[in-house]
Amino acid sequence: MTTADVLAIFRTVLETEDIAASDDFFDLGGDSLLATRVLSALARAGGAELTMEDFLMAPTPELLAARAAGAAGAVVS
Amino acid sequence: MRVLIVGAGLAGLVAGDRLRRSGAAVTVLEARDRVGGRTHGIEVAPGAWADAGAAYLGDRHTELLALLAEHDLKTTPTSTEGASRFELGPAADGPLTRPGRFPPLNAVALGELFDRLADLTSLVDVAEPWHTPGASDLDGTTAAEWAEANLRHPDARVFFPLFLGEMMAADPADISVLHMAFYLRSGGGLRYLNAFEGGAQEYRVDGGAHRLCERLAAGLDVRLGSVVTAVHQDAAGVRIRTEDGGAFEADRAVVAVPPVLADGIDFAPGLPATRSTSRTAPGCAVKVHLVYPGPAWRDEGLSGWSVNARGPLLSTVDDSPADSATGARVGVLTGFVTGAEAHHFSALPPGEQRDRARAQARRLYPGLPEPVAVHVTDWIADPHARGCYAALFGPGDWLRLGPRLTAAHGRVHWAGTETSTEFFGLMEGAIRSGRRAAADILNQPGA
Repeated sequence: MTTADVLAIFRTVLETEDIAASDDFFDLGGDSLLATRVLSALARAGGAELTMEDFLMAPTPELLAARAAGAAGAVVS
Repeated sequence: MRVLIVGAGLAGLVAGDRLRRSGAAVTVLEARDRVGGRTHGIEVAPGAWADAGAAYLGDRHTELLALLAEHDLKTTPTSTEGASRFELGPAADGPLTRPGRFPPLNAVALGELFDRLADLTSLVDVAEPWHTPGASDLDGTTAAEWAEANLRHPDARVFFPLFLGEMMAADPADISVLHMAFYLRSGGGLRYLNAFEGGAQEYRVDGGAHRLCERLAAGLDVRLGSVVTAVHQDAAGVRIRTEDGGAFEADRAVVAVPPVLADGIDFAPGLPATRSTSRTAPGCAVKVHLVYPGPAWRDEGLSGWSVNARGPLLSTVDDSPADSATGARVGVLTGFVTGAEAHHFSALPPGEQRDRARAQARRLYPGLPEPVAVHVTDWIADPHARGCYAALFGPGDWLRLGPRLTAAHGRVHWAGTETSTEFFGLMEGAIRSGRRAAADILNQPGA
């Protein structure tokens, strides 16, 4: 799960292309309903099942990608 | 030109106002002893009002906002600051407190639910739902059947009926998948319809939404207590009869009542098809107002928002009136009893309804004093509404009823939020339907 993958999910869910890797989902108009759709897309893409708390602590594409990679790694190891 | 309006709800009053301004002689016939229809104010303390019916609006409700501005009515933001309470697990666990509005349920499972709903809403032809690809399958399946087939995770199954209850006061067994998808799309999509800030619940009307109806009615000839029983027409005009023996004549009529009530009127010549079917269900909403000396839950860092799998109050919202000019401070928690729960609750004696609401408030907010008053507004039992927020289109309804929703029956035109494919079920839809009905009349040759 790369930052670019998460960025693509943000763009689909928020329906805008104008998002950078360091942008906060919740500052971009994202709310908890849309956040669940990011989390389900991440899970479908094999990037591990994260919680809403995970997302709130890592609300940008780069932070969320790192957290997803960490969570996936933990499952594998 | 003379026009008779049947129903002094928002749709009928907007149509009447528009026609009067265009020079028509308008008379509005209203069955109740008040105007406002499914908007209704309760004075919970001197000068402080709560909405017993329609309450919320957002920035996309442009016609409503323009009308409020025109009538010098202000909006007040709905307060959602603070933590929420959730009672979604086993009864023994009791309610939990969580920051924000997100329930203590599996986020990925809810994400999958919303993904599925978003796929359906993007599919629907909102202007002509009966032309949606696969419409007959979607119209022939109930939302409950859809959930059974599509929702695997137990958290999604717990949340889905609560979500439909909040969004559209529907029991999933009562509505078709097509109606669910249409309604969510018509109201602006899942996120917009669900959101307070930046969504459809961002504001309330200061002093109550009914105030707008009262201002519109002030300029119109409104006959209260006039239950319309017959609407007859011929080449000369329309004749309307009321239960108390009243007789009215006009060139055109606008029937602005919910579809099931329209079907209670004797039309001659008869309608080519009914306005509702045996599958059309009442919107299942009972609103409970718990009145406190002040919004003390805010002192505990709580927003007043709760979502509960066990009723009667499936959700609560802080609907405290803005502090009045006299400095009186009132706290109001609105409890929503929706869907199947509303049917059970509606059947209880009034004392029992209030007792159960109080008991749940004690469980959810043990730090609060007893409410000083509890008001229960049962829209299902209301003979002049037969449900709220709006009629629920059951299996087969959209294909049968949809194509004729707005088609005039000779001199008789239709309004009401159920005739608006934009913001169906909301005040905004009612206003747009009233505008459309007035325009239909004014655009007639010779009008």
